[in-house]
Amino acid sequence: MPKDHSEVLQGTLDLMVLKTLDALGPLHGYGIARRIEQVSDDMLRLNEGTVYAALLRLAQKGWIRSEWGASENKRKARFYSITRAGHKQLAHEAESWERISSVIGRLLRLESQH
Amino acid sequence: MLRTLISRLMNTFRRQRLDEECDEELRGHLEMLAERFVARGMDPVEARYAARRQFGGVTQMKEALRDRRALPPLDVLGQDARHAIRGLWHAQGFTAAAAVTLALGIGASTAVFAVLDTVVLRPLPFAEPDRLMSFRNIDRRGPHLTNISYPNFFDYRAQNRVFERLVCYRDAHFTLTDSLPAVRVPGEIVSWDLFSLLGVQPELGRSFLPEEEKAGTHVVVLSYGLWQSRFGGDRGIVGRQVHINGNSSTVVGVAPRGFQFPEDAPPMQLWTTIAEDGSMAEQRGARVTEAIGRLRRGVTPERAQAQMDQIGLALVAVDPDSNRNIAKTLVMSEQERLAGKTRRPLWIMLGAVMLVLLIACANVANLLLVRSTGRAREFSVRSALGASRWALVRQLLAESLMLGLLASAGGVLFSALSLKRVLPLAGEDIPIPRIAGVSLDLRVLAFCMAVAVVTVVLFSLAPAVQVMFTDVADALKDGAGTIARGRHRLRSSLVVGQIALGLVLLVGAELLITSLLYLVRRDPGFRPDHLLTFGIGLSDARYNTAGQIAFSDRLRERLRAIPGVKIAAAGFPLPLEGFQMGIGFDIEERPEPSGRPVSNMAIVTPGFFSAMGIPILKGRDFTERDDTGATRVLVVNEAFASRFFPGENAIGKRIEPGAMNIGEAKTMMHEIVGIVGNAKQEPLAAKADPIYYLPYKQLSWDIGTIELRTAVPPQEIVPAARAVLTGLDKEAPMFQVRTGEERAAEAIAVPRFLTILMSGFAGIALVLTVVGLYGVLSYTVARRQREIGVRIALGAGRGTVLGLVMKDAMRMVVVGLVLGVAGAVGVQRLLESISFGIRPGDPIFVIIACCLMVAASLAAAYIPALRAASVDPMQTLRNE
Repeated sequence: MPKDHSEVLQGTLDLMVLKTLDALGPLHGYGIARRIEQVSDDMLRLNEGTVYAALLRLAQKGWIRSEWGASENKRKARFYSITRAGHKQLAHEAESWERISSVIGRLLRLESQH
Repeated sequence: MLRTLISRLMNTFRRQRLDEECDEELRGHLEMLAERFVARGMDPVEARYAARRQFGGVTQMKEALRDRRALPPLDVLGQDARHAIRGLWHAQGFTAAAAVTLALGIGASTAVFAVLDTVVLRPLPFAEPDRLMSFRNIDRRGPHLTNISYPNFFDYRAQNRVFERLVCYRDAHFTLTDSLPAVRVPGEIVSWDLFSLLGVQPELGRSFLPEEEKAGTHVVVLSYGLWQSRFGGDRGIVGRQVHINGNSSTVVGVAPRGFQFPEDAPPMQLWTTIAEDGSMAEQRGARVTEAIGRLRRGVTPERAQAQMDQIGLALVAVDPDSNRNIAKTLVMSEQERLAGKTRRPLWIMLGAVMLVLLIACANVANLLLVRSTGRAREFSVRSALGASRWALVRQLLAESLMLGLLASAGGVLFSALSLKRVLPLAGEDIPIPRIAGVSLDLRVLAFCMAVAVVTVVLFSLAPAVQVMFTDVADALKDGAGTIARGRHRLRSSLVVGQIALGLVLLVGAELLITSLLYLVRRDPGFRPDHLLTFGIGLSDARYNTAGQIAFSDRLRERLRAIPGVKIAAAGFPLPLEGFQMGIGFDIEERPEPSGRPVSNMAIVTPGFFSAMGIPILKGRDFTERDDTGATRVLVVNEAFASRFFPGENAIGKRIEPGAMNIGEAKTMMHEIVGIVGNAKQEPLAAKADPIYYLPYKQLSWDIGTIELRTAVPPQEIVPAARAVLTGLDKEAPMFQVRTGEERAAEAIAVPRFLTILMSGFAGIALVLTVVGLYGVLSYTVARRQREIGVRIALGAGRGTVLGLVMKDAMRMVVVGLVLGVAGAVGVQRLLESISFGIRPGDPIFVIIACCLMVAASLAAAYIPALRAASVDPMQTLRNE
């Protein structure tokens, strides 16, 4: 089911964007894309446009806010920053991510013993 | 979830700016990306392409963002609406049928509501109308409401502490002779503070002053209409003298445009003070005036009435003879008094028209069901292509909504038209207060919209439910088959419901028609044909009693000389004019000082009975010799004779009417010299009440109304009569020129109005029901063509097939009638309260209505049945 697959990806991307903003402070879409690229070490190839879809979703949920400002090279850009609700959500998501990934990790290890 | 929705909702309103911002943001991103590639040594053009590649589809992303940012449903709704309009346009026949049916229903209910709203619901157009209370005495002998005498009114006004103001008012007529031709206009005689009571500021000048109640003052406030029509809207009118009833009156003010008081009278042209009534203001026995008061803040009507009752009790001691029977009072909301008798019938009419609307809804629902059956395949295909069920339902709803919109526009038109065309059918002078003010205002339009919305929900429910619960795959497999069965049951039950509601309306219409026929056919006690009546405005100031009698003699003589006139007479009040003078009397042989009997009274000239066509049963008519010099005589009607002299010969008996102590005459014994037939005084009363007639020359209060019995059609006499009157006194206007037949029609205007409405509703209901039944049967026949073909092929005769369809029809009809009878019986009980001459619970109405419904249904079923019988088996089998 391709639909479910994309949903997982969406959720993951949202979490990554949120974490990026948490770690680096206010950042524009381009900066977020660069950061994800850098962290993932090119293991994750994504259409950078999808970052904006993630940003819109997060903004609509009230987890980030945005304002216009000037970028490093004096270009007008929209800067996103994490809100208080966003912090809470991030903590929650991070925890459940850890839990799921540890469960899945354990599960996969079990499988390989057979 | 909610946050997202709110954010989307907000963004919907600044879509343009958000789009631009988004464009800018993405452009920036692309540029930075390209610069990065250039910095790595890429060619600028190459770099731009690379940036776009890495970003992904820019346009797709923009669109995706736009859709998610704002409310997509708005866009989609627009799309649905476009689809719906296209769909309706393609099915023009369906659209027209459905829209017209609904427009009829919505329009009719809007029109009825407009009448109800104006007459019953809308608050009076005065300041704080809920504190305005009508005030009357109750005569304990009736018990009925009675007017108040001036001295009593003054005492009530001075002694009460519950009303801020208490104002008396009395309808009268005034002759204006400031310029020729003289006119006779309705006006009101009021106590000084009427305008302050109502919170109305005069357009010009002022209202009355307290001292202007004193006899001898002549002041007048003109209506806006009279000021415009007769005085050319002259702003210098205030302070001028005008000739009214032979007196010179000072105009002190002009009422604002549209001001009307009382609201249940013909449009008043002027208001003057009680000074006009002269010596009548001193007579406790002359109950002439009505009263209205404004409650003090915080005083309830009950408390007010308690105090007025106390004052009334004290007034008995002041003048026991006049006040003994009227110690009780009634304080009721003026609004309620006005709506009074019409409230119940109008609510009933609104209920009836709502039933029509329901029937119309059922028809449209049926049409929609047929349509959605025809579209089952379309829906299945769309569903299979990925349209969600909700999307399909939404499209159906959009179509219904568009249909509702179309229908309510038509409904508004229809109601405007019917208010303009149907309302006048009820007659010019229909005695329903405020009905002239009926119009389509915002309140009425709001009601129309509400009705339309409810209607849309009602008629679109069925098809929507159908789609929700239809298995798409099934529908695809087999065009009609399985879905059609459930759908058919739904359609049949809609028709059954229509038949039940239609029966209820039919019974209602039958009942009112029977009641009206009873009123039309029953003997009014006089002959309305070949009868012309009119009033004359004779100036009190220029004619004393002797002069008036002389004038009356001369006038009747000259009128009699007109070719075509057989008899000329005068009298008042005329039959069907209601009870105007209820006067107590003593019977000589059995005086009852504690409770004198009361009867209505009229004053008439010789020839009155033959002019009106009231038969003289015993004794004689009055003659010109029955004057103040002769023995006092009177004539009574049959009801009077049998009520007060049961089993005796009333001729020769003597009674002493109490009326004689009004004015200069003293009370005197009167001998009964004649007994006449019962002419109805109260037009809608079940039977004639007692009345006694006094000869004009022995009690000359007023010249009265002229009656001419003619040999030619009465209208032809009018010019000659007018010439005779002008020849005698050019300042005496002729007014209320009516034939006897017009008077008879006017008297039953309200029942006729209600009957027209109810019959119209029942007619529409019957047509809609028959159409609905026909539609369902035709559809069934079309669907069962295969089956019928097989039956015929197997040897079923024409009769069998006919019977098959007829049986189908009769099953629906019978179930509908059984369900409808309960409602019909209820409606009959309800309507008996507003109809006349109906035996309570008479089953004939339900029986006739059932027969009508069966006959109409058989007719409706016959065509589809014939079609079924003529199915060609070869044709159908070949199609297999």
